[in-house]
Amino acid sequence: MAPRWPAGYNSVVTIPSHTARIKVLFFGRLKEIVGHAEDSIELPDGAPIEAVFSHFGANHPELARFRASLVASRNQEFAAWSTPLHSGDEVAFLPPVSGG
Amino acid sequence: MLTMTKLLQPDLLLLVRDAIDPETLIRHVRAAEDGAVVTFDGCVRNHSHGRRTLYLDYEAYETMALGKIREIAGQIHDKFPIHLVAIAHRLGRLEIGETSVFIAVSSAHRPAAFDACRYAIDTLKRTVPIWKKEYFEDGAVWADGEMPPAPAETRAAKPAS
Repeated sequence: MAPRWPAGYNSVVTIPSHTARIKVLFFGRLKEIVGHAEDSIELPDGAPIEAVFSHFGANHPELARFRASLVASRNQEFAAWSTPLHSGDEVAFLPPVSGG
Repeated sequence: MLTMTKLLQPDLLLLVRDAIDPETLIRHVRAAEDGAVVTFDGCVRNHSHGRRTLYLDYEAYETMALGKIREIAGQIHDKFPIHLVAIAHRLGRLEIGETSVFIAVSSAHRPAAFDACRYAIDTLKRTVPIWKKEYFEDGAVWADGEMPPAPAETRAAKPAS
Protein backbone atom coordinates (compact mmCIF):
# COMPACT_ATOMS: atom_id res chain seq x y z
CA MET A 1 0.00 0.00 0.00
CA ALA A 2 1.32 3.41 -0.93
CA PRO A 3 2.25 5.57 2.06
CA ARG A 4 -0.02 8.50 2.76
CA TRP A 5 1.69 11.82 2.82
CA PRO A 6 0.49 15.13 4.23
CA ALA A 7 -1.23 17.27 1.63
CA GLY A 8 1.25 19.12 -0.50
CA TYR A 9 4.07 16.76 0.33
CA ASN A 10 5.69 15.09 -2.63
CA SER A 11 6.40 11.47 -1.97
CA VAL A 12 8.74 11.31 -4.93
CA VAL A 13 11.09 14.14 -5.67
CA THR A 14 11.74 14.12 -9.38
CA ILE A 15 14.84 15.91 -10.50
CA PRO A 16 14.05 17.27 -13.96
CA SER A 17 16.15 15.38 -16.46
CA HIS A 18 15.43 16.30 -20.03
CA THR A 19 18.68 15.17 -21.51
CA ALA A 20 20.60 11.94 -21.30
CA ARG A 21 24.36 11.67 -21.59
CA ILE A 22 25.21 8.55 -23.58
CA LYS A 23 28.62 6.91 -23.89
CA VAL A 24 29.27 5.72 -27.45
CA LEU A 25 31.87 3.15 -28.51
CA PHE A 26 33.24 2.39 -31.96
CA PHE A 27 35.08 -0.78 -32.99
CA GLY A 28 36.94 -2.14 -35.98
CA ARG A 29 36.42 -0.23 -39.20
CA LEU A 30 33.97 2.14 -37.48
CA LYS A 31 36.71 3.27 -35.10
CA GLU A 32 38.90 4.00 -38.12
CA ILE A 33 36.14 6.01 -39.81
CA VAL A 34 35.24 8.07 -36.74
CA GLY A 35 38.88 8.44 -35.70
CA HIS A 36 38.45 7.45 -32.07
CA ALA A 37 37.10 4.57 -29.99
CA GLU A 38 34.94 6.48 -27.53
CA ASP A 39 32.68 9.50 -27.59
CA SER A 40 29.65 10.82 -25.78
CA ILE A 41 26.51 12.60 -26.81
CA GLU A 42 23.61 14.36 -25.11
CA LEU A 43 20.15 13.49 -26.36
CA PRO A 44 16.62 13.95 -25.06
CA ASP A 45 15.93 11.29 -22.43
CA GLY A 46 14.34 8.25 -24.06
CA ALA A 47 15.78 8.91 -27.52
CA PRO A 48 16.35 5.67 -29.46
CA ILE A 49 19.74 4.15 -30.33
CA GLU A 50 18.96 5.08 -33.94
CA ALA A 51 19.24 8.78 -32.99
CA VAL A 52 22.78 8.26 -31.73
CA PHE A 53 23.76 6.65 -35.00
CA SER A 54 22.08 9.40 -37.03
CA HIS A 55 24.13 12.01 -35.18
CA PHE A 56 27.46 10.35 -35.94
CA GLY A 57 26.34 9.28 -39.41
CA ALA A 58 25.63 12.93 -40.28
CA ASN A 59 29.21 13.84 -39.37
CA HIS A 60 30.72 10.78 -41.02
CA PRO A 61 28.87 9.85 -44.24
CA GLU A 62 31.07 6.78 -44.62
CA LEU A 63 29.76 5.51 -41.30
CA ALA A 64 26.16 5.80 -42.51
CA ARG A 65 27.00 3.52 -45.47
CA PHE A 66 27.58 0.62 -43.04
CA ARG A 67 24.26 1.00 -41.19
CA ALA A 68 22.66 -2.10 -42.77
CA SER A 69 25.50 -4.38 -41.67
CA LEU A 70 25.66 -3.18 -38.07
CA VAL A 71 24.10 -4.49 -34.90
CA ALA A 72 23.59 -2.13 -31.97
CA SER A 73 24.20 -2.80 -28.30
CA ARG A 74 23.08 -1.06 -25.12
CA ASN A 75 24.99 -1.74 -21.90
CA GLN A 76 26.84 -4.75 -23.40
CA GLU A 77 23.70 -6.46 -24.71
CA PHE A 78 22.49 -6.62 -28.30
CA ALA A 79 19.63 -4.15 -28.62
CA ALA A 80 17.03 -3.08 -31.16
CA TRP A 81 17.69 0.28 -32.85
CA SER A 82 14.45 1.53 -31.32
CA THR A 83 15.65 0.93 -27.74
CA PRO A 84 15.17 4.12 -25.68
CA LEU A 85 18.26 5.48 -23.95
CA HIS A 86 18.80 7.05 -20.57
CA SER A 87 21.66 8.86 -18.90
CA GLY A 88 24.65 6.66 -18.25
CA ASP A 89 23.82 4.14 -20.96
CA GLU A 90 26.66 2.75 -23.05
CA VAL A 91 25.92 2.26 -26.73
CA ALA A 92 28.07 0.54 -29.35
CA PHE A 93 27.69 -0.14 -33.05
CA LEU A 94 29.06 -3.56 -33.89
CA PRO A 95 30.29 -4.56 -37.33
CA PRO A 96 29.91 -8.24 -38.31
CA VAL A 97 31.99 -10.17 -35.79
CA SER A 98 35.04 -12.16 -36.88
CA GLY A 99 36.56 -13.68 -33.79
CA GLY A 100 37.77 -17.24 -33.52
CA MET B 1 18.29 -19.25 -13.51
CA LEU B 2 21.53 -19.69 -11.66
CA THR B 3 21.55 -23.08 -10.01
CA MET B 4 23.84 -24.26 -7.25
CA THR B 5 25.56 -26.51 -9.76
CA LYS B 6 26.31 -23.46 -11.88
CA LEU B 7 27.76 -21.58 -8.97
CA LEU B 8 30.13 -24.44 -8.33
CA GLN B 9 31.28 -24.64 -11.97
CA PRO B 10 34.73 -23.13 -12.05
CA ASP B 11 34.87 -22.66 -15.81
CA LEU B 12 37.92 -20.75 -17.04
CA LEU B 13 36.94 -17.95 -19.45
CA LEU B 14 39.60 -15.52 -20.62
CA LEU B 15 40.57 -12.77 -23.01
CA VAL B 16 44.35 -12.65 -23.16
CA ARG B 17 47.07 -10.60 -24.83
CA ASP B 18 49.89 -13.12 -24.46
CA ALA B 19 50.25 -16.55 -26.03
CA ILE B 20 47.57 -19.06 -25.02
CA ASP B 21 48.91 -22.15 -23.29
CA PRO B 22 46.58 -25.02 -24.26
CA GLU B 23 47.95 -27.27 -21.52
CA THR B 24 46.73 -24.86 -18.84
CA LEU B 25 43.19 -24.98 -20.20
CA ILE B 26 43.21 -28.75 -20.62
CA ARG B 27 44.51 -29.28 -17.08
CA HIS B 28 41.83 -26.91 -15.82
CA VAL B 29 38.90 -28.94 -17.17
CA ARG B 30 40.29 -32.44 -16.72
CA ALA B 31 39.25 -34.33 -13.59
CA ALA B 32 39.06 -37.90 -12.30
CA GLU B 33 35.37 -38.25 -13.19
CA ASP B 34 35.95 -37.31 -16.85
CA GLY B 35 36.25 -39.84 -19.64
CA ALA B 36 36.92 -37.31 -22.37
CA VAL B 37 38.44 -33.91 -23.03
CA VAL B 38 37.69 -32.42 -26.46
CA THR B 39 39.64 -29.37 -27.56
CA PHE B 40 39.43 -26.86 -30.41
CA ASP B 41 42.57 -24.99 -31.40
CA GLY B 42 41.82 -22.03 -33.67
CA CYS B 43 45.06 -20.94 -35.32
CA VAL B 44 46.21 -18.19 -37.64
CA ARG B 45 46.20 -19.41 -41.26
CA ASN B 46 48.82 -18.19 -43.73
CA HIS B 47 46.33 -17.35 -46.47
CA SER B 48 42.92 -15.73 -46.92
CA HIS B 49 40.90 -15.56 -50.16
CA GLY B 50 43.97 -16.58 -52.15
CA ARG B 51 46.25 -13.93 -50.63
CA ARG B 52 49.23 -14.57 -48.39
CA THR B 53 48.51 -13.37 -44.87
CA LEU B 54 51.37 -11.75 -42.94
CA TYR B 55 49.70 -11.48 -39.54
CA LEU B 56 46.37 -10.69 -37.86
CA ASP B 57 45.29 -8.08 -35.34
CA TYR B 58 42.33 -8.86 -33.07
CA GLU B 59 40.33 -6.34 -31.12
CA ALA B 60 37.30 -6.80 -28.88
CA TYR B 61 34.56 -4.98 -27.05
CA GLU B 62 36.14 -6.59 -24.03
CA THR B 63 33.44 -6.29 -21.37
CA MET B 64 30.71 -7.46 -23.73
CA ALA B 65 32.90 -10.18 -25.30
CA LEU B 66 33.61 -11.69 -21.90
CA GLY B 67 29.90 -11.51 -21.07
CA LYS B 68 29.01 -13.32 -24.29
CA ILE B 69 31.67 -15.99 -23.66
CA ARG B 70 30.17 -16.51 -20.18
CA GLU B 71 26.75 -16.91 -21.82
CA ILE B 72 28.16 -19.58 -24.15
CA ALA B 73 29.60 -21.46 -21.18
CA GLY B 74 26.22 -21.30 -19.47
CA GLN B 75 24.46 -22.52 -22.61
CA ILE B 76 26.66 -25.56 -23.08
CA HIS B 77 26.20 -26.55 -19.44
CA ASP B 78 22.43 -26.34 -20.02
CA LYS B 79 22.46 -28.19 -23.34
CA PHE B 80 25.06 -30.91 -22.85
CA PRO B 81 26.02 -33.15 -19.90
CA ILE B 82 29.54 -31.79 -19.66
CA HIS B 83 31.79 -31.28 -16.66
CA LEU B 84 33.83 -28.12 -17.32
CA VAL B 85 34.73 -25.74 -20.12
CA ALA B 86 37.72 -23.47 -20.62
CA ILE B 87 37.73 -20.81 -23.34
CA ALA B 88 40.57 -18.39 -24.06
CA HIS B 89 40.58 -15.85 -26.89
CA ARG B 90 43.68 -13.86 -27.68
CA LEU B 91 43.71 -10.17 -28.69
CA GLY B 92 46.30 -7.98 -30.36
CA ARG B 93 48.81 -8.98 -33.02
CA LEU B 94 49.06 -12.69 -33.85
CA GLU B 95 51.60 -14.31 -36.12
CA ILE B 96 50.97 -17.17 -38.54
CA GLY B 97 50.48 -20.46 -36.71
CA GLU B 98 49.68 -18.93 -33.33
CA THR B 99 46.53 -19.89 -31.43
CA SER B 100 43.81 -17.22 -31.54
CA VAL B 101 41.19 -19.20 -29.62
CA PHE B 102 41.36 -22.39 -27.58
CA ILE B 103 38.43 -24.31 -26.13
CA ALA B 104 38.59 -27.37 -23.89
CA VAL B 105 35.51 -29.26 -22.71
CA SER B 106 35.46 -32.23 -20.36
CA SER B 107 32.70 -34.78 -19.84
CA ALA B 108 32.14 -38.29 -18.54
CA HIS B 109 31.40 -39.56 -22.07
CA ARG B 110 32.79 -38.23 -25.35
CA PRO B 111 29.61 -37.28 -27.29
CA ALA B 112 28.76 -34.42 -24.92
CA ALA B 113 32.27 -32.95 -25.04
CA PHE B 114 32.40 -33.15 -28.87
CA ASP B 115 28.96 -31.55 -29.26
CA ALA B 116 29.58 -28.85 -26.66
CA CYS B 117 32.97 -27.90 -28.10
CA ARG B 118 31.48 -27.57 -31.59
CA TYR B 119 28.56 -25.53 -30.25
CA ALA B 120 30.93 -23.26 -28.33
CA ILE B 121 33.18 -22.33 -31.25
CA ASP B 122 30.28 -21.94 -33.70
CA THR B 123 28.40 -19.68 -31.28
CA LEU B 124 31.52 -17.72 -30.40
CA LYS B 125 32.16 -16.93 -34.05
CA ARG B 126 28.60 -15.67 -34.47
CA THR B 127 27.91 -13.76 -31.24
CA VAL B 128 31.08 -12.57 -29.50
CA PRO B 129 32.11 -8.98 -30.38
CA ILE B 130 35.66 -9.62 -31.53
CA TRP B 131 37.08 -8.42 -34.86
CA LYS B 132 40.18 -9.34 -36.81
CA LYS B 133 42.11 -7.28 -39.28
CA GLU B 134 44.09 -9.24 -41.85
CA TYR B 135 47.43 -7.82 -42.96
CA PHE B 136 48.71 -8.72 -46.42
CA GLU B 137 51.80 -7.67 -48.38
CA ASP B 138 49.76 -5.02 -50.20
CA GLY B 139 47.40 -3.78 -47.53
CA ALA B 140 45.01 -4.74 -44.76
CA VAL B 141 41.29 -5.50 -44.49
CA TRP B 142 38.79 -6.16 -41.73
CA ALA B 143 37.78 -9.80 -42.14
CA ASP B 144 34.29 -10.57 -43.42
CA GLY B 145 32.34 -11.43 -40.34
CA GLU B 146 28.98 -12.73 -39.25
CA MET B 147 26.13 -10.49 -38.13
CA PRO B 148 25.08 -11.43 -34.62
CA PRO B 149 21.35 -12.10 -34.21
CA ALA B 150 19.80 -8.78 -33.22
CA PRO B 151 16.61 -8.29 -31.22
CA ALA B 152 13.58 -7.74 -33.45
CA GLU B 153 12.67 -4.08 -33.97
CA THR B 154 8.97 -4.83 -33.66
CA ARG B 155 9.33 -6.03 -30.08
CA ALA B 156 8.49 -3.38 -27.52
CA ALA B 157 11.68 -2.01 -26.06
CA LYS B 158 12.26 -2.79 -22.42
CA PRO B 159 12.25 0.18 -20.05
CA ALA B 160 15.57 1.00 -18.48
CA SER B 161 16.21 -0.67 -15.19
